[in-house]
Amino acid sequence: MENIVKIENKKYPELLRKIGKEAPKKLYYKGNWNMDIFENCLAVVGSRHLTSYGRKITEQFVTEIAAAGITIVSGFMYGGDEAAHKATVEAGGRTIAVMPCGIDMIHPEYQEELYNKILENKGLIISEYEGNFPPANWTYPKRNRIVAGLSKAVLVVEAGLNSGTLITTDYAGKFGRKIFAVPGPITSEVSRGTAKLIKEGAEVVTSVKDILDFYKIIPSKKSVENSSQLAGRGLTNDLEKRIVEQLQKEPLEVNNLARLLNMPVSKIGTTLSLMQLKGFINQEAGKYYVD
Amino acid sequence: MLIKVPSVANLGLETIGVDVEVNLANRGLPGFVIVGLPDKAVDESKERVRAAVSSSGIDFPAKKITVNLAPADVPKEGSLYDLPIAVGILSSILQFVIPEKSLFLGELSLDGSLRHTKGALLMALFAKEAGFENLYVPKDSANEAAAIKGIKVFPVENLFQISSHFLKKKNIEQITYQEIKDNLPVPAEFDMKEVLGQEQAKRAVEIAAAGGHNILMVGSPGSGKTMLARALPGIMPPLNERESLEVTKIYSVSGSIPPGGSLITCRQFRAPHHTASPVGLIGGGTRPHPGEISLAHRGVLFLDEFNEFPRSVLEAMRQPLEDGYLTISRSKERVKYPAEFMLVASANPCPCGYLNHPKKNCICSPQQVRKYQKRVSGPILDRIDLHISVQPVDTMEFSENQRNSESLESSERIRERVILAREKQEKRFGEDSVQSNAQMKNVHVKKYCNLTKEIEQLLRQASMKFQLSARSYMKMIKVARTIADLDGAEEINISHMAESLQYRSKIYETA
Repeated sequence: MENIVKIENKKYPELLRKIGKEAPKKLYYKGNWNMDIFENCLAVVGSRHLTSYGRKITEQFVTEIAAAGITIVSGFMYGGDEAAHKATVEAGGRTIAVMPCGIDMIHPEYQEELYNKILENKGLIISEYEGNFPPANWTYPKRNRIVAGLSKAVLVVEAGLNSGTLITTDYAGKFGRKIFAVPGPITSEVSRGTAKLIKEGAEVVTSVKDILDFYKIIPSKKSVENSSQLAGRGLTNDLEKRIVEQLQKEPLEVNNLARLLNMPVSKIGTTLSLMQLKGFINQEAGKYYVD
Repeated sequence: MLIKVPSVANLGLETIGVDVEVNLANRGLPGFVIVGLPDKAVDESKERVRAAVSSSGIDFPAKKITVNLAPADVPKEGSLYDLPIAVGILSSILQFVIPEKSLFLGELSLDGSLRHTKGALLMALFAKEAGFENLYVPKDSANEAAAIKGIKVFPVENLFQISSHFLKKKNIEQITYQEIKDNLPVPAEFDMKEVLGQEQAKRAVEIAAAGGHNILMVGSPGSGKTMLARALPGIMPPLNERESLEVTKIYSVSGSIPPGGSLITCRQFRAPHHTASPVGLIGGGTRPHPGEISLAHRGVLFLDEFNEFPRSVLEAMRQPLEDGYLTISRSKERVKYPAEFMLVASANPCPCGYLNHPKKNCICSPQQVRKYQKRVSGPILDRIDLHISVQPVDTMEFSENQRNSESLESSERIRERVILAREKQEKRFGEDSVQSNAQMKNVHVKKYCNLTKEIEQLLRQASMKFQLSARSYMKMIKVARTIADLDGAEEINISHMAESLQYRSKIYETA
């Protein structure tokens, strides 16, 4: 049997219907259509080329938001969307992926594992296109109106100028939804979009609490605890402490650390390896950061 | 009248004796034939010999001349038989006796002079083994032959000179073994002190040079990968006597020793372009010739733009990377070439090159990145000991003092440390078949790398966390051994091992 929900059906999400004539006439879906999944939705969108900062923030925020029971909506693209979906399923939360292509396709196809995980975690895959309808340039922006339409608010972690993410926020603005933006360095290409949003009146987000307050959810005690206070426990020597101090400011390469601390790179490298094994720090793309 | 002139034939790096039999028959039509599986170059020797003899002022005999290269079933190639054939003919006309225990090799020019010919060193080695005493070789190749002790080498300039020598009119001055002792590094294009920043990469390159480890550098364009690799010859240790002979043999057989050249004493740096064919890189051909990997024996094979090389070429390197030699099999012959090289590879992280670049944005999709990185297979990456990421350096980050290249370490100083570490290894391995830490087999690792319980635990922890294969597990111990050697320590300690973990980061996904 085919899984379709038409606009006249009472199971059609109320928020999406409210967007008026732009609302899709019917939605194809995979997974378990359960009305309460649409109750508290937050769209989390971001650049396809997320920086390590963006990825870290997305993971951190989404993990806590999803744990609080909010459904994360995104577009299943690689980069920001993928990070949001992944963090949700890892936190055991529910997420809705809005596909830019026919419901029977997985796009991008190498994210099949994530696709299955979303369904396993009682999430939903939805699309307004049937069967094997291929994704096209025009389907991506159209898909974004559904992402915005389903959600009470949109959280933008990183976005370039002229990006698909800004199309989503345009829709969100039009539909009267709240827009949250995470500030980033003004020099970063993928923070220009968020800077623009902030200038135009989007709410600046600096902690998960900002979002949970909007949804009127009282954060659990654990989530407000500052992660940087967690790090630094169990450090055995002075050098490790100094390294953590530097890394709390920004993720760094071995070379930068060696220069900043004025120590031979072999010594720093040795210490970093040991710290990594003990789980104090992590490494991605050559840069070390505090978890 | 039959005259025998001894010479040699090379099958790969093996040399066999060849008798050049020259018969001048008075009966029959005048003619000149060479038999005994000559190739084109040997066959054309007739014309060179005829012209060279005439140019030397001697009438070429109008007789039926037959030359047989015995044993007749081994294929002969090259131009080295010109001299033995000419000497055979001349000895018949001028009635001189060819001294016993002599070997001849050399290509003739039409004016009767001798040209630089490949394979002189191999012939000298064969002479020593087979009990020959006198070597007659072209003047330009004489130094090469004189690299072997206990053999008299006669540098021949032209046919007239060698006939006068045999007729005892005017002797050729013989040259004997000269010990070559130079400890100079190959002039490198860059000095290490010219490379600003990149402290970790420099350290990794130093470790690689000290232990002969393979190294992969991944980074954006302009980050200094190529510069670091090109600076490498300046910190490589010199070749020892045994190694030097091995390398020179390969160069001798491939004809890559320049005229007048002798033993090769410095480690070779080979940097083939990525359009290299499998045969060019690995070796082969109908008569198997050594490829770049053998020419880089005991030296460095630098593959810039690693994943632009055809996959088939890279995969073909798997076995030699592991074994240190390569056997090329053809229906008629089987040739073994040594290929104990240090692989230095550099690559971009993605098609556009700017993945994880601090300033520029990468425009590649994850799929493109994956496809690009997958061009290098896991098995190849697994055979590389040190993996480092090289990111562009922002010169603004450096203080005036740090930017001053005088404050940085020069190649010369690094080389001193590398030499010390190599000496430690040489002493340790003694009579073992291996010479550097990278070559250690599992037996040697067990024998020479004592790991404390604490280190073993660290390693187990690391191999779980980084999902190391059994091979890379061993590689990390070997790298730790080299770090300990650089440190001057007898045993590997925990910080050596921890540092070695640094160079195993997953830069390439398939790694």
